[in-house]
Amino acid sequence: MNKMPEIVLFFLAKIKKLALHFKKKKKMKEIMMVYYMEAKSARISGRKVAWITSGGPVEPLIAMDVIPVYPENHGAMIGASKMGTDLCEKSESMGYSSDLCSYARSDIACATVNGGPIGGLPRPDMLVCCNNICGTVLKWYEVQARYFNVPLFIFDTPFCHVGYAEEARRYVRRQLDEYVLFLEKACGKKMDSDHLKAVGKLSLEGQRLWQAVLATAANSPAPMTAFDAFYHLALIVTLRGTPLVIDYYTQLLEKMKDRVARGIGAIPNEKYRLLWDNIPIWPRTRWLSEKLASHNACLVADTYTSAWCGTTKYINENNFFDSMAEAYTRIYLNIGVDEMARIVIEMVDTYKVDGIVMHSNRSCKPYSLGQYDIQKIVEKERGIPCLMIEADMVDERSFSESQVSTRIDAFMEIIKQRKGA
Amino acid sequence: MKERDEFYEILKDPGSYGRKMKEQGRKIVGYFCSYTPEEIIYAAGAHPFRIFASGENIHFADAHFQSYCCSLVRGALEGALAGNLDFLVGAVFPHTCDSIQRLSDIWRMNVKGPFHADIVLPVKLNTESAKAYMMDVLKKFRDELASHLRVEITDDKLKNAIETFNTIRASLKRLYEMKAEDPGVISGSDLYVIVKASTMMDRDHLTGVLPAVIEELEKKKGNANLSAGKRIVLAGGVCNHPDIYRIIEEAGGVVVWDDFCTGSRYFEELVRDNADPIAAIAGRYIERPVCPAKHAGIFTRGENLLKIVKEKDARGVVFFFLKFCDPHAFDYPYMKEFLDREGIPSMMFEVEDQLPSEGQLRTRFETFVDML
Amino acid sequence: MITAGIDIGSITTKAAVMSEGKIRGTRVIFTGYNAEQAGTKVYEELLRELGVEKFDVRRVVSTGYGRNSVKFMDKAMTEIICHGAGAHYLNPRARSVIDIGGQDSKAIVLDEKGKVKNFAMNDKCAAGTGRFLEVMARALEVDLDGFGALSLRAGDPSRISSLCTVFAESEVISLISKGEKRENIIAGIHESIAARIAAMANRLRIAPLVVMTGGVAKNIGVVKALERKIGMTVEVTEYAQVNGAIGAAFLAAGLK
Repeated sequence: MNKMPEIVLFFLAKIKKLALHFKKKKKMKEIMMVYYMEAKSARISGRKVAWITSGGPVEPLIAMDVIPVYPENHGAMIGASKMGTDLCEKSESMGYSSDLCSYARSDIACATVNGGPIGGLPRPDMLVCCNNICGTVLKWYEVQARYFNVPLFIFDTPFCHVGYAEEARRYVRRQLDEYVLFLEKACGKKMDSDHLKAVGKLSLEGQRLWQAVLATAANSPAPMTAFDAFYHLALIVTLRGTPLVIDYYTQLLEKMKDRVARGIGAIPNEKYRLLWDNIPIWPRTRWLSEKLASHNACLVADTYTSAWCGTTKYINENNFFDSMAEAYTRIYLNIGVDEMARIVIEMVDTYKVDGIVMHSNRSCKPYSLGQYDIQKIVEKERGIPCLMIEADMVDERSFSESQVSTRIDAFMEIIKQRKGA
Repeated sequence: MKERDEFYEILKDPGSYGRKMKEQGRKIVGYFCSYTPEEIIYAAGAHPFRIFASGENIHFADAHFQSYCCSLVRGALEGALAGNLDFLVGAVFPHTCDSIQRLSDIWRMNVKGPFHADIVLPVKLNTESAKAYMMDVLKKFRDELASHLRVEITDDKLKNAIETFNTIRASLKRLYEMKAEDPGVISGSDLYVIVKASTMMDRDHLTGVLPAVIEELEKKKGNANLSAGKRIVLAGGVCNHPDIYRIIEEAGGVVVWDDFCTGSRYFEELVRDNADPIAAIAGRYIERPVCPAKHAGIFTRGENLLKIVKEKDARGVVFFFLKFCDPHAFDYPYMKEFLDREGIPSMMFEVEDQLPSEGQLRTRFETFVDML
Repeated sequence: MITAGIDIGSITTKAAVMSEGKIRGTRVIFTGYNAEQAGTKVYEELLRELGVEKFDVRRVVSTGYGRNSVKFMDKAMTEIICHGAGAHYLNPRARSVIDIGGQDSKAIVLDEKGKVKNFAMNDKCAAGTGRFLEVMARALEVDLDGFGALSLRAGDPSRISSLCTVFAESEVISLISKGEKRENIIAGIHESIAARIAAMANRLRIAPLVVMTGGVAKNIGVVKALERKIGMTVEVTEYAQVNGAIGAAFLAAGLK
């Protein structure tokens, strides 16, 4: 994909998309390939490309037929392909501190050299930045706005320390209107509110399906692990609001239900059930998965993938647009640490968890600062142990294999002792 | 300068000053961030007291914050958990950055005693809806504070508060201008101490002391060595280190202005006249030089820095950042590029709460001044 | 006119004597824990060796972290300025200097007159300094002096962390226990320190001619790895370790 000219990508995408349409079993890899090919040949098809943050309101983009591209998802791909270190080093030579978020560092560097596993992201026609996940995205998108010289929309979702304030609701609701105006100007056409309603319905259905998929892991043995969830997550993040997402997760749910019915577990001998907290260590997911499986431990739940179906309770099915304000503001990373701890305890109970594995991720302050307190609360309220792994989601230089391996072994010894196995 | 000692005393042991004020019956409300509406706190009859890192080694805060969190946040929590901030009746947390955001939660969950208030200001400062939201938030804070302190915060009290703080801001700006005109008139450390102590000193007392300092300096002849120093501008966030001014001066440089949260951003722009004092206060936050944790355009800060350098006739810029301060670190490359394009030399220095050895500082500053 | 330069570093103290624009001699001793004594000792020993009397030396410039403790100096100047001057004196075409010492490393950009245009320092962290190599040599039980030659024999350099000495050490130990070849590990260590230095240098946008100074310049493996990382030739002279003292002596001649 890296070196193909746009016109080739355009036709290939069309062909593959058609083939996919007729396929009963749709594979993630194929779907994502078509998605990126379409994005990289958008100029030919006359569609606009928007870069948007992972927590950003994508439904209006889908409704306007704008292709949403996610630099964070691309960051995960960069991490998984182990290309993070080089790109981060490049960003450091551009003057960016090595303490900054590694998604941002790799993306900023990538844009200048068209690096990464797919030869770089397609140029954006506009940037949509929602700060519900962190304040870093504001700065990151300012950098890219300067670099690409394209319009930037900032969707400011005030932090909910202890609840959802009325003035915040008003502010975010007004910004939804501003967002639509921004898109209409950038695309040169009006928003079709009926189409947006339909997209909203699909989005909600997709989120509910994703929730159901994740919930199958509450069974013993769990038919899937968090590592599987990390893999299948891509669609609900990038293409939320499209029918494709419904098809894919419906299939996946069926598969998982079938495994539950037949008592098939994701790992051969599930003895210990764990919960993962924070963004995955993308360059090392396979190593971690094998390491934990070697201890008969299965990651049955995680706070990261559940974030994309965590606010369905705030969505009004009959008024998707208005309720987007609350749904996008009250996500897992935009609430107080004590509320996060309550959610973790809920998951511990639902998924019958024996221990927590927390990734103390240098790159993500909103997710990592507060983990010590959550750990204390969980230990106090449920008496289960918690393992801290200090690393980074993309930059491998911050991962020390022998140290992490030792810690996991020690943690599993504690769990085994407690469970009397 | 006879008032000098008073300012130094406060900074030497802010806790002791705070406790003394508490004994005198004052209600002290601690705050972080220069976007805190001090006028509202003052109008409530309380005393706004800015909280900085204690400078002590971290023990308690390690149980709550990883090492990759900035030393301002870690140090502030350390002080609170160590009991050094017992004189506070309340702590307010304006929304600034991700770290302060989590400090607010962790403080609320672990520091017992003072009341806790969040002021979730907008991150955007350049839209009508953001301004409307900011006013809502300020009004909410006024109500919350009035309820915590069991007082009434009337518009008149607010207008009076605005006048007080405008006087303070104008005085601090005048001191900066005097230094820029004749660097020898006051040492960098003295000016730093005055500005920083102004965020802790009794504000009514301050409005008397500052004009006296100005009057005294107006009569003074500047120190010739300092006046001849190579003119430098500092840029960054919170500067907790008076020593750097001395080291710069000993290296042959002199700081003639800054773009610091604890410096010019604190006092630039007065609150303008407005029938609605809340609107007036909000207006100032829209107008004043923007902090990197806020958004007011993608080139604003770079343009502002260039303007300062040119207006104050500076030969170079030293960027002075706290390690792990993300907003500043993201802005640095483009701001440096702005300076490079104009041929203005710059240096970047990253510090933690405990400054590196003086030797290391000297080496860098001496080399930089030599480059100018 | 005879001038002298004294460079007091944390591990070694160096002296250089110049006259009529030529180097008369240089000397290196261990600093120990008394910087002032080290400065005096190296100076006196060098003068004795050259048969020069103290009162024949017109000007003395001191540099390095201990520069202010030298009582007999006429001026103290930072090691950055002195390394720049030394590199320029030895090769007027030098435009960038990379200095890797025992406990710190620096990158310096010079103009055509040898004046410092920009610089960056790492004095906080062992990775990217001589200390990093020392720790690894201990872990491998190999003489540090042999590192260079051994690394050139490597067929497949290991990948080792450049961020943290402690991480890297645990990785090295892990590789040793897996039976990895010494040559490959050492080559990996060199890649690691070079990556760290290159990151600092690239921030400054260094340009040819690049010169390397400091004790670590004696290690041909690090020099080669650095060349690969920055994509430019790196020149090393026999005076690499005493470059700062030479620069100081040179600058002393320009003092009034």
